[in-house]
Amino acid sequence: MSTADVLAIFGGALTTLLLSAAGIALGLPIGLGLALLRWARVPLAGRAAAVYVSLLRATPLVTLVLLLFFALPNVGIAVGPIAAGVLALTMNTSAFNCEVWRASLMDFPKEQIEAAKSVGMRRALRFRRIVMPQIVRTSLPGLINEMSLLIKVTPVLAVVGVVDITRAAVRIGAETYEPLPPFFVAIAIYVPIVFALVSLQRWIERRQAIPT
Amino acid sequence: MNMNDISDMSDMSQCRQVLSVSGLSKRFGSLQVLDGIGFSVARGETVCLLGPSGSGKSTLLRCINWLERPDSGHVLLDGRQIGVSSGGVVMNDRELALMRTRIGMVFQHFALWPHLSVLQNVVEAPLHVQRRPKGEVMAEAEALLRRVGLFDKRDVFPARLSGGQKQRVGIARALAMKPALLLFDEPTSALDPELVGEVLAVMRDLAREGMTMVVVTHEMAFAREAASRVIFIDRGVIVETGHPEAFFSAPSTERARQFLLRYAGAGLPNAAPVPTPP
Amino acid sequence: MINGFGIVWAERGLMLAGLANTLLLSVLAGICALLLGALLTPLLMHRAKPVARSVRVFVDAARCTPFLLFAYMVYYGLPSLGLRFDNWSAGLSALIVYHTAYMAEILRGAWAAQPRAPIEAGQAFGYHGLALFRRIVLPPLALASAPVVGNQLIQIIKDSAFLTIIALPELTHAASSIQSRHFVPFAAFITAVLLYWALCLVVEAGVSTVGRMAEARR
Repeated sequence: MSTADVLAIFGGALTTLLLSAAGIALGLPIGLGLALLRWARVPLAGRAAAVYVSLLRATPLVTLVLLLFFALPNVGIAVGPIAAGVLALTMNTSAFNCEVWRASLMDFPKEQIEAAKSVGMRRALRFRRIVMPQIVRTSLPGLINEMSLLIKVTPVLAVVGVVDITRAAVRIGAETYEPLPPFFVAIAIYVPIVFALVSLQRWIERRQAIPT
Repeated sequence: MNMNDISDMSDMSQCRQVLSVSGLSKRFGSLQVLDGIGFSVARGETVCLLGPSGSGKSTLLRCINWLERPDSGHVLLDGRQIGVSSGGVVMNDRELALMRTRIGMVFQHFALWPHLSVLQNVVEAPLHVQRRPKGEVMAEAEALLRRVGLFDKRDVFPARLSGGQKQRVGIARALAMKPALLLFDEPTSALDPELVGEVLAVMRDLAREGMTMVVVTHEMAFAREAASRVIFIDRGVIVETGHPEAFFSAPSTERARQFLLRYAGAGLPNAAPVPTPP
Repeated sequence: MINGFGIVWAERGLMLAGLANTLLLSVLAGICALLLGALLTPLLMHRAKPVARSVRVFVDAARCTPFLLFAYMVYYGLPSLGLRFDNWSAGLSALIVYHTAYMAEILRGAWAAQPRAPIEAGQAFGYHGLALFRRIVLPPLALASAPVVGNQLIQIIKDSAFLTIIALPELTHAASSIQSRHFVPFAAFITAVLLYWALCLVVEAGVSTVGRMAEARR
């Protein structure tokens, strides 16, 4: 494996990270929105959100990517591989994030909301100053866990031709007749990233366990 | 006379000794928890083990059925040694388990099997360990539950019971094995005060009916009333022993006297000891 | 778009065969991973540090590795070491080895949360060995770990879809193949998604049932 090969794999790694970051950045607020729709029991949208979440949590990412990449152009929406990839990642992670946010919202002590109401706080202010800061705190471990899971599934974007680590690895393997080393390099890039996130999650959980 | 080993103090003949403990020692790390303890229990006796926290009473109890393995000493049940087989070899799991079926135990934190209902808890070991016929075991279990006042809760799961109810089930469960000896490890220490009485009432009846019992407890009124003998243990050794009336009204050793003074209000549940000067 | 579903219906044999393969892979991998994981858990908690540490490294490494990379490695990479796998053996063994690590960690967590007193009571009442495990230790452990094991089974079902990349004829592969031959991507993949959803609902229903049993005893 030449330096060029290794660089090819690192190039793929960068693509992966950017795609994951996009998915994470979009998935967080969308997940929160879905969770709020369900928590506030908005009549139609809440139910729709529940169905969406249930469907997406059951759908393998590869199937979702293929669906978006092939089906959307068919109904007139042109998507390239990167757009399809980011859209699939976002839809997938927003569904899982929704459940994390929802768990924090459901565990949120009612008395605090009642206390805020009793001093005259209106809904938006209540949410911004009382609810939000605390659910961010309690959701953090779960959200970071979901980020590590997201990064672990991004290799599948090779399926739709987004140059990714795995695709580079397979290509190099086919060219050099030595398939194993590129995979080890690919794994050597993913494992530390995921491990860093998992360690971060554990550190946050430990810190939160200390009574403030 | 060595007060610590009173295994031949009883004036009852050997064949009526249900339990005989001699030379029992156990250390945890650098702490000598039991130091050469010995005593006997005759059939029908109710022996209460009293002493301050950390005196080794619970460890002693748990050494009787080898839930704790003593470093040295002998434990004999009806003349047969527990934990060590006749060849001097440590018993394997199967032999030890067999001996344990003859000793019943009631735990401080009840230790009921959470996946089984009340009735299932009581019949579980008689059916699956002793392999007694189902009809007989069921009938006895129902009778035992009636006796402890919990027949109408027989299909309830332990999580739905109060502490006092759980402990009464624990007693019924132990009795269902028809043990030669019943061990009680601080049976009321984990109970709310108002629930202690219902458990002690069951224990008092058992004592009166001639069950052979060894009870570790802080309930002084119960010990005074129901015990046929009390053994006072402090820091791993037997300090004093005797008839409860004699022990409570006129203890013969200074340590026993101090203990009873600290538990002033003895007889009240959860009486807090006054801290001793160093 | 709607007549796309008509075409999918015409090809339902292929789709159902894919579903059957997904089911077969998932059930086999789930059972094997659970059993092997159960064997690994005591090693994970072993007193001997080298044993516990090496199993811990395996578990952590598996949980930090993307499954697709792992499957690729087994299928494309191992032949260079002389181990030849066909896509079925590669896919199934990758699923099993990968998820054994997860199951071991799940069971370790569930075991650590179990109270010890009822088990000690079991010993005091004369239980030992297999009977102690089967009648006293296992039932509460199974009730407690059912939700997490159920979640892991859903993960296995979804990970099986990755195996389309090594040309294993499971559900996603069937949908892909129908799509590429008849150009009905929407109908084919939506059908696949709905079938995956149905599988997950079945697993969730099973977990709910066990959850109700656990709730009655909590």
